[in-house]
Amino acid sequence: MLLKRVVASEGEQVEFCEGRLLVNGKELEEPYVRYPCRWNLSPRQVEKDCVYVVGDNRNMPIENHHFGQTSKDRIVGVPLW
Amino acid sequence: MKIKYLLVGVLILVVGIVAGITLIPSEEKRVRKQFSLLSQWVSKSSEENAFTMLQKMKNIGTLFDEHCEIKIPDQSLSGIYTRQEVSTYAGSARSYISELDLKFHDLRIIFPEEKIARVNLTARLTGKSTAGERVDETRELECVLRKIDKQWLFSQIEVIEVLKK
Repeated sequence: MLLKRVVASEGEQVEFCEGRLLVNGKELEEPYVRYPCRWNLSPRQVEKDCVYVVGDNRNMPIENHHFGQTSKDRIVGVPLW
Repeated sequence: MKIKYLLVGVLILVVGIVAGITLIPSEEKRVRKQFSLLSQWVSKSSEENAFTMLQKMKNIGTLFDEHCEIKIPDQSLSGIYTRQEVSTYAGSARSYISELDLKFHDLRIIFPEEKIARVNLTARLTGKSTAGERVDETRELECVLRKIDKQWLFSQIEVIEVLKK
């Protein structure tokens, strides 16, 4: 089981630009990210019945971080607070 | 008098059933035990000596079927490996790591056929490489174990890609 934050839902476009997360071209405010990163990822659209998830800990190279699109039916829970 | 014997008989029967349930491990418990052993033998402390390392490598091999299909795309590891090859590969991979802790979580075990167990689980590998880099990998796995000579042995291990960048 993985613990990740949902940042975009189906149909939305996601990209990273110098560490800033853009959803549909707009920067997402992410006060929960403690360590800034300089990730770059070209725009991609979230497919039907999927969500896009990213972890809050981004102090490693993008290749080493396990994030991306996953099917909604894989979600098994939400945080209690 | 007859009632007394009957009660004693029933009591013995109940004790027997309870003891059977609690003492004789179920197939599910036997399968879980194999994961626990794999975790124990793959894990490594910084003080591990050469003798322990060799013993663990040998032990890891005993958990695998004579031929095991492994699919780990991240590591370019894909194919059918013999028990000996699995053991050698594990030993080689461990030599790059100074500390290693492998834990298995959320095991879901089903028995689609007799003597076949399919297990879906989360594996977390943490530790430190010999170069001092931190290792922290979490992956979803699907494993198939076959019961051979009363032993549950790993015959397939596949890393399931749940996230697509």
